Amino acid sequence: MGVLIALGLLIYFPGRKMAREHVNTKTAVSDHPLLCSKCHLYTSENALVSKLLNEDYYSPFNLAISKDGSRLYVVAQEANSLLVVDVEKQQIINKIKVGNQPHTVILSKNGQKAYVSNQWSDNVSVVDLIAAKVVDTLKTGNGPAGLSLSADGQFLYVVNSYASTISLIDLKSGEELKRFTTGNNPTGVNLSPDEKTLLITSRRAIIAPYGEPVVSELTEIDERTQRVTNRHNIESAYMMENVAFTPAGDLAIVSLNRPKNLVPSIQVEQGWMMNYGIAIVEQKKNGRVIQLLLDEPNAFYPDPFGIAITPDGKKAFVSSSGVNCISVVNIDSIRSLISKSTTEELNSLSNNLGISDHYISKRITTGSDPKGLVISHDGKRLYVAEQLEDKIAIINSETFDKIGSIDLNGPKRITVNRTGRRLFNNSGHTFQNQFSCYTCHPDMHEDGLVYNMAAKDMGRNLTNTQSLREIHHTPPYKWNGKNQTVYKQDGIRFSTVLTRTEQFNYPDLDAITAYILTGIQYPPNLQFNPSGVLTKSQQQGKKIFERKTDNYGAAIPVNNRCITCHNPPYYTNLKLADVGTLAASDDSTQFDTPHLNNIYASAPYLHDGRAATLEEIWTKYGQTDKHGKVNDLTKIQLNDLIDFLKSLRAPRYEKKSTK
Amino acid sequence: MNGMLIFTRSAVKMQNINYITGLSWRYSPKTQIVAIDPDKKDSTVQILSEDFFSARNPQISYDGNFMLFTAQRKPNDPWQIWEMNLRNFTSRQVISSNENCIDPAYLPGDKLVFSKLDLNDTCKGGYSLYTCQLDGSSIHRITFNPHSYFASSLLKDGRILTISRQVYPDNGVQKLMVLRPDGTKCDIFYELTEGSTLLSQATETANGKLIFIEKTQSLATGGSLVSIRYNRPLHSRDNLSSGIVGEFLSVSKQISGKLIVSYRKSDADRYALYEFDPEKKILGNVIYENSGYDILESVVVEKQEIPKKLPSEVDTAVKTGQLLCQDINVIKDQSQSRSIASQLSRIEVLGIDSILGVVKAEQDGSFYLKIIADKPFRIKTIDSNGKLIQGLSDWIWLRPNERRGCIGCHNDHELAPQNLVPIAVKKLPVSLPIHVMKIVEKKISSE
Repeated sequence: MGVLIALGLLIYFPGRKMAREHVNTKTAVSDHPLLCSKCHLYTSENALVSKLLNEDYYSPFNLAISKDGSRLYVVAQEANSLLVVDVEKQQIINKIKVGNQPHTVILSKNGQKAYVSNQWSDNVSVVDLIAAKVVDTLKTGNGPAGLSLSADGQFLYVVNSYASTISLIDLKSGEELKRFTTGNNPTGVNLSPDEKTLLITSRRAIIAPYGEPVVSELTEIDERTQRVTNRHNIESAYMMENVAFTPAGDLAIVSLNRPKNLVPSIQVEQGWMMNYGIAIVEQKKNGRVIQLLLDEPNAFYPDPFGIAITPDGKKAFVSSSGVNCISVVNIDSIRSLISKSTTEELNSLSNNLGISDHYISKRITTGSDPKGLVISHDGKRLYVAEQLEDKIAIINSETFDKIGSIDLNGPKRITVNRTGRRLFNNSGHTFQNQFSCYTCHPDMHEDGLVYNMAAKDMGRNLTNTQSLREIHHTPPYKWNGKNQTVYKQDGIRFSTVLTRTEQFNYPDLDAITAYILTGIQYPPNLQFNPSGVLTKSQQQGKKIFERKTDNYGAAIPVNNRCITCHNPPYYTNLKLADVGTLAASDDSTQFDTPHLNNIYASAPYLHDGRAATLEEIWTKYGQTDKHGKVNDLTKIQLNDLIDFLKSLRAPRYEKKSTK
Repeated sequence: MNGMLIFTRSAVKMQNINYITGLSWRYSPKTQIVAIDPDKKDSTVQILSEDFFSARNPQISYDGNFMLFTAQRKPNDPWQIWEMNLRNFTSRQVISSNENCIDPAYLPGDKLVFSKLDLNDTCKGGYSLYTCQLDGSSIHRITFNPHSYFASSLLKDGRILTISRQVYPDNGVQKLMVLRPDGTKCDIFYELTEGSTLLSQATETANGKLIFIEKTQSLATGGSLVSIRYNRPLHSRDNLSSGIVGEFLSVSKQISGKLIVSYRKSDADRYALYEFDPEKKILGNVIYENSGYDILESVVVEKQEIPKKLPSEVDTAVKTGQLLCQDINVIKDQSQSRSIASQLSRIEVLGIDSILGVVKAEQDGSFYLKIIADKPFRIKTIDSNGKLIQGLSDWIWLRPNERRGCIGCHNDHELAPQNLVPIAVKKLPVSLPIHVMKIVEKKISSE
């Protein structure tokens, strides 16, 4: 017995010491709880373990309502389904399978059909609501999101969010008739009450060199001529998720973020990092676009998403996903403010954190992550899709009281991963709730902006936001590669220099790490590599990517071959490198080799976002051949190389193709 | 002790108030800290400060088990900070100083903040704020202005809210200032009108209000019960007691949301404790009164939500802080801003006793300074003809390694920055004061 105890102690103490050292190394702190399961279990990618630990939630995203108000049609994003909800009984009466990652639902003019955009399937499901089944599938562009019917109901406008286009589909033939270019990463679309004008919002800003103003496009289409008639430049704004018109049609209201990426990120106080608001777009000749904040001097309302306007045109409801809140906007107060202010005065109001007192009547608290909104046709009820609650909140649109909640009966267990996602989407861990992880990493990706992180002196360390999709196997993190783990990345320094409030407690840090490492997936690369079979150009590009000699037959040094540093399956060797991109304002001398899957969706490129396109990496910024040997390539070869790079996608899709 | 009501009482009637120093009215002799059970009728008063000549300002720890307070052992002792274990009523001295140390408030992480009389050259005889561990170790000064700071409390967001008044070169108007517990990002929270005075610590309610007592000259010793909204404190003043005859002296909150106020109807009465409903603005029942005493302040013993524990950017190995101004032409009065927009060209930075430097603003109005840390300075703006356009700003200080940004000079505190790259940050900061910076750099290089 004594021997056994002695043996046990011999194993226990050195083992514990080793474990402590291991955890300290991974977390960069010395007091993280010593529980193996916190990391090794919750970040496991083993299929069985993952199945046991996780749940299949519904995650309601957008919704529509029948004319008589008896049915809600709810897009269940994670269940790839359209849920038909009996409002009276507050229960799901049909669950109709649609495509992958459904985004938006709208109803036909007679209410007998629903159209559901499937963002990860590149199509729209046509659902017969009487038969409760999908009766047709319409092919779209890449990443279909927002939907709108034409004035006569004969055509469907589909916003292709990844391709930055909008498709016009003839509903009789199911054929796409036209495709218009839009702003960068469009999502929302709405038809004016006079059925003449379509407005399409975009989320990402137009790519521009750092220092140029952030500008995003609001695209205007004349529905009668089916032509683009205007491209409004919305200045100092991005992430314009949705648009709604007042019933009178005099105003359109757009949700938006106002980033401060050009200002050194030295504080959070006084709205120094990110602001949120709405754009008021006057619908008349030479109409102005006025931006007003939803925020207050000491309170911020991140990630505005849905907008719904009451039938009397008096109130607009705006969901702020990052702070679990609906802001009630008094539209008459806004009209009054606009009418008595000069354009110059209105411009100065766009940064005024106090002015919201004049037009925000109420803040309504909701469940986790409120997204899409819909108002009953009698205007009495507001329905809110609480994405991470698996519930639909019912709010009295006159008293603003929450009068009910429809439980979609998703899993009751809130998993560690789900907790992590809630933390990711919520701004509660930043000072005064000024931003959430989601704010700069929308869709858990990146926002296309370059920030002045000002690590040492202001004006230094320009940082291109990086995607968080499937980063489990691609440490280190940050462009300077200083963080070997997500635990360290989101630890004390993160709270000191970025969120500037209390750091995550360890259960929360474990949960958000588990979510980031295992809960975020790449969308399929349907635009450039839908089947795994490369085009001829991509095949040529692959050869260039893997080549060992240049066009003149000379051997390319191993360290200057693409494949050496960007080796599959993640296309990174996980090391730092100097590729000749060091700027005078950089503190680091080498940069992390980024992973390249789905790289087509991550413009701009390089650590400081200086390259607007992949091509610019080797033309404008690759003249020294330090970032791979490329200057011998012909234009056609460079195009092939870029075509190949755009084809790269997540390893799990490659595995499926191989099977 | 959970649920007990602790309060301070004074047999000496309130009079001869000196609002400038903030001392005589808040720290009078022979005050006692006592406790009652508010749920029991005829509850006996238990004197908690029997060992002290005078005691005041009880503050309950977040777990409800301890009480910080200020006390004098003997009549001529300086006021010092003590902590009482409420389970066994033993007290220990937290701070030991030759100067008055008053107004303690708990900070998360077993720390506290308090005011200490400072007689050094930069403070000019005001009370500065200090933080330390609850065992009295690691004392750090966190304010560096010639101001007096009193009656600090902690906001839920983790910042210190404190009453501040400039004492040099002139006495200024009182303000509620807010700063991080490491002394960074000090800024105005609420400004009083000329002639008004803050009498009490501000208490933050569950529904986002800050409530305190504000005195106008018309009232003898007390003031009105005033609330402001946390979300927009500079423009949300609401006099909760406007329809009530009488005077208020202090306010504290209960978890139920109700307030306890120290109130008297007239000069002839003594201050007593009443309930107050802030939503209905109604003075409720009397909780405790004693014709032999004024009740100065109160606090309920109960567990409270712990405010956020803010991280610190202070690095004492760094000897400077940095200040970025986006555009000196942006000033509070927008009409004036437009009229002088093209004229402003320089700023003059003044320390306590000397000019630290004159700095040319960039074409876009921005400037970027690196200034010796923990020294107060003020800024004035000058046009191209050398004419003073905006007078001296409030006193500012920067902590070591602190980086602060402002939108403009004397700017509107409700304005967020424009999203643009200030020209000034494309260059190295201007170091001030030049001669001192040279010495510091020389010392660093010699090390």
